[in-house]
Amino acid sequence: MPVSRRDFLRLTAGASAVAMLGQLGQSAALADGTSSYRAMVGVFLFGGADNWNMIVPTDGRYAAYASGRSASLALPQASLTALPDVPFGLHPSFAPLLPAWTEGAMSAVLNVGTLFQPLTKAQYAASPNLRPLALMSHSDQQNEWQGLRMREPNLDGFMGRANDREAALAVPDLISLGGSTLAVIGRTSSPLILPSSGSLVRNGFNGAATDMPTVTRQAASTAFADATGLGTPTTLTSGAIGGGYAMALTTNAIISATTSTVDQYFKNPTTGAALTSDVSRQLLRVARMIEARGTLGHSRQSFFVSQGGYDTHSNQVDAASTTTGTQANLYADLAMALAGFYNAMKALGLADNVTAFTMADFGRTFRANAQRGSDHAWGNNHIVVGGAVRNRSIFGAYPDVTLGGPQDIDTNGRWIPTTAVEEYIGAIATWYGVAAADLPYVFPNLAAWTTAPRGLLPMFG
Amino acid sequence: MRRYRAATLLAVTTTLAACSGGGSSPTVTPSATTPAPVVVVTSGDAVRLGKQATFGPTLALSDRIAAVGTAAWLDEQFAASSSSYADLAVRAVPLNYCTAMVPAVSTCTRDYFSSTPVAMEFYAHAVGNSDQLRQRVAFALSQIIVASDFEVHTTAGLAGFDQLLLDNAFGNYRTILRAVTLNPYMGDFLDMVDSLKAAPNENYARELMQLFSMGVNQLNADGSLKTDAAGAPIPNYTAADVHDIARALTGWTYARLAGAAANDRNQLDYSKPMVANAAQFDGSAKTFLGTTVPAGATQDANIDAVIDAAFNNASTAPYVAKFLIQQLVVSNPSAAYVGRVSAVFANNGAGVRGDLKAVIRAILTDADARGIAKTGGSDGKLKEPVLFTLSLARLLGAKSDGYAFVTRDAGTGQAPFRSPSVFNFYPPDYPLPLGGGLVSPPTKLMTTATILARHNIAYDWTIGGDSRTEFAPLASITGATGTQLDLAPWEALTDPAKLVDTIDLVMLNNTMTSQQRTALLAAINAVTDPVPATQAHKRAQTALYIVAASPQFQVDR
Repeated sequence: MPVSRRDFLRLTAGASAVAMLGQLGQSAALADGTSSYRAMVGVFLFGGADNWNMIVPTDGRYAAYASGRSASLALPQASLTALPDVPFGLHPSFAPLLPAWTEGAMSAVLNVGTLFQPLTKAQYAASPNLRPLALMSHSDQQNEWQGLRMREPNLDGFMGRANDREAALAVPDLISLGGSTLAVIGRTSSPLILPSSGSLVRNGFNGAATDMPTVTRQAASTAFADATGLGTPTTLTSGAIGGGYAMALTTNAIISATTSTVDQYFKNPTTGAALTSDVSRQLLRVARMIEARGTLGHSRQSFFVSQGGYDTHSNQVDAASTTTGTQANLYADLAMALAGFYNAMKALGLADNVTAFTMADFGRTFRANAQRGSDHAWGNNHIVVGGAVRNRSIFGAYPDVTLGGPQDIDTNGRWIPTTAVEEYIGAIATWYGVAAADLPYVFPNLAAWTTAPRGLLPMFG
Repeated sequence: MRRYRAATLLAVTTTLAACSGGGSSPTVTPSATTPAPVVVVTSGDAVRLGKQATFGPTLALSDRIAAVGTAAWLDEQFAASSSSYADLAVRAVPLNYCTAMVPAVSTCTRDYFSSTPVAMEFYAHAVGNSDQLRQRVAFALSQIIVASDFEVHTTAGLAGFDQLLLDNAFGNYRTILRAVTLNPYMGDFLDMVDSLKAAPNENYARELMQLFSMGVNQLNADGSLKTDAAGAPIPNYTAADVHDIARALTGWTYARLAGAAANDRNQLDYSKPMVANAAQFDGSAKTFLGTTVPAGATQDANIDAVIDAAFNNASTAPYVAKFLIQQLVVSNPSAAYVGRVSAVFANNGAGVRGDLKAVIRAILTDADARGIAKTGGSDGKLKEPVLFTLSLARLLGAKSDGYAFVTRDAGTGQAPFRSPSVFNFYPPDYPLPLGGGLVSPPTKLMTTATILARHNIAYDWTIGGDSRTEFAPLASITGATGTQLDLAPWEALTDPAKLVDTIDLVMLNNTMTSQQRTALLAAINAVTDPVPATQAHKRAQTALYIVAASPQFQVDR
């Protein structure tokens, strides 16, 4: 019997129901019909987005914000897109998402980041072994966000591990539009990696050919797929290449069709022009794959999407105005793409079934450097878009932004996160349908966050 | 080695016998009926060296290596005159050069403010010039010390940066670190240029340590991770180290065109090293990585202190050694191999640290690198896209001005000098999916789209390779010569079995199975044409396509 969304929430709200689903295994929890379809869409902001300018307090805390960021980076209070019901505003570039917020389909999580365990400033200073490894290193922090092992090598990612626990499908329902990346690498499963533009055609290949030159040529190519005994890298590469050929045949019609019903929503809300940014093209193809979920046999889909360019050490903002410049342009691309995606999901009747959320290497220094930029830091803010999130709610705690203060590990505004990545993404994954029994596999460090008041953020319902 | 070759020949003989039972009776090749002479074994090794030390072995190159031997061939390569981007360095022009042109010239931005001219020359050199090892090492260095047209657009600046790597590919690593630190292209890319004492920019300071020298964590001499008593990695540096190095690197700005004064009114010159701007230099004392720079030390002394601390760090030798091994030979080198090369980085035998010529020689003459194909569990290195495309082109006898490559490379995920960030196109520790802990850095670039892009280059440039638009000289490029392929050496192998033998040796290191051999021969024999030359051409195209697209060719062993 199909379980409605409300029923699913009611069921999963009870510990016994969670245990029951856990015993059934994730494949059972995920195998329900279209009525319980769910998708999570992770958008990684590569380079480490300075999201202390994404969401800004508009109450008495604004003064401390403005002081800490200084005129170099602080957004004027009047420029912010105010969020009804909460004392926060968004960077003006996020105005396209205001309708989603108003409709109760957007949330934000404050000062979230990589943590090995709850950490005070004193502990940070005294015990390096309680910190995540290699803080402030792009590559390591990307791997920790995606792999979620804070003090061990990351060889696989949370989306890949969630996929490990699902039944293998002809077309994987873990799909990256942002390239091959740690997040989607599983231990036993493989993702589908699709391009954000262009079609997938294997030149010269004709499965229906009957002429001898083509038939024998294709037979030879098939014979050369055998890489037995040549070592693991060759053998696995052979499998990947064969998989790529097969997936091209299956998915090309979906991603490169000239039109689809969802394309029309990816437009600039002011000018009406079709969006052209890479992140918008990725999300458009995500929408197409969601639209095709029935054809693909997908009752769950998880997507990885990326946007680059956030390593704004210099010229993050224009000299003339902090509301324009590199950051404003990147945010505008992101906001318009997410708004278009949300509208597309509404049109498909799936607004409540799809949750998009952002991630990034790290937050950036609250204190500006001399080139109107910011350097690598730690805690950061993120947004979640989708009809399932709790109405007009913000989670986590805005830090005391005193430079050198109780939450700063030095004097540049590098805030110790007060919400762990697991508490943030774990909540989304649980909503998505990762069974309780599988959570420790998908989130290896989850045990550090199971004692109240810590725990998965109550973002849904 | 002899035994391995003998086993391969046995399989070949069996296959031929099976084939001759069918329709046409292929001629049994001499090499299959006579005992394996030593020179054949050496050829397998020569081909393998060609894969490691060049942009792809050709028949002629394999013969040359086999004829003179590894050591002498390396000496030839060390002595070969260098390819040069000198013609592009003169394109140092004011930033408004194109916008000020009347009438506007539509190709101006491409020719003066993009990586296209540099990439074209890179490909043209790689396809045709004889200083293959220098180019290959410079390309490897460009992936450890990354600056990218993805963010900084100046043709002259990029050409100068890559020239620096070519010039020093067989020089000393310290020389490279110092020159890169004061290079304006890098200075712009990682924000060291115009970093001010009031708020030093940490970008370059951090990546100099993390990516260009020692790496995040302390390494043992064999490249393995050093751990503390609790088993945790030990960081090489702290945030305070980064900050003080950033302070030591303040006070540098661009040279100005025509030697003009370094002020805001004069145009930036990306072709000359950065110059001191003493007013913005933080001259107070610094402490980093166990080094103290006293207050009042000169800017040059500060630079030297930073470079020495990075260069002499104990982790730098294994970090650079392992990276270069991964670039040239194998993705998962043994700790012992890394250790041997790392020791040469630390001391070339004459007390010199960082001697790249000695390091490259150690990498390529090591027992783990020499001999015929290695097919153990962890052996193998996926060809990165640039290497895949160039290896194919060299097998096809290409001569090129590089443009055809430029039209293809973005689709493969690797456009030279356009890495998406300082972290290169892929990290050195990227996991081989399902590989049980093995890494495969270039696998990060293997997606449905790039798998097809690689396949389609193989197909289009072989079977589809006659009179392609992408091979025609582009009218808008001055002096364009386009791309020409020459399959004559392959067409001369009119005996299909001989063609297959040669492809097996040069492309697959004699790892073709009997089934694959049978299938390849069938595909070749199915291609017929009444004109013998046409038939030979099409048969060569078909055979080269099938094998170039195969996983065996795409992964070097």
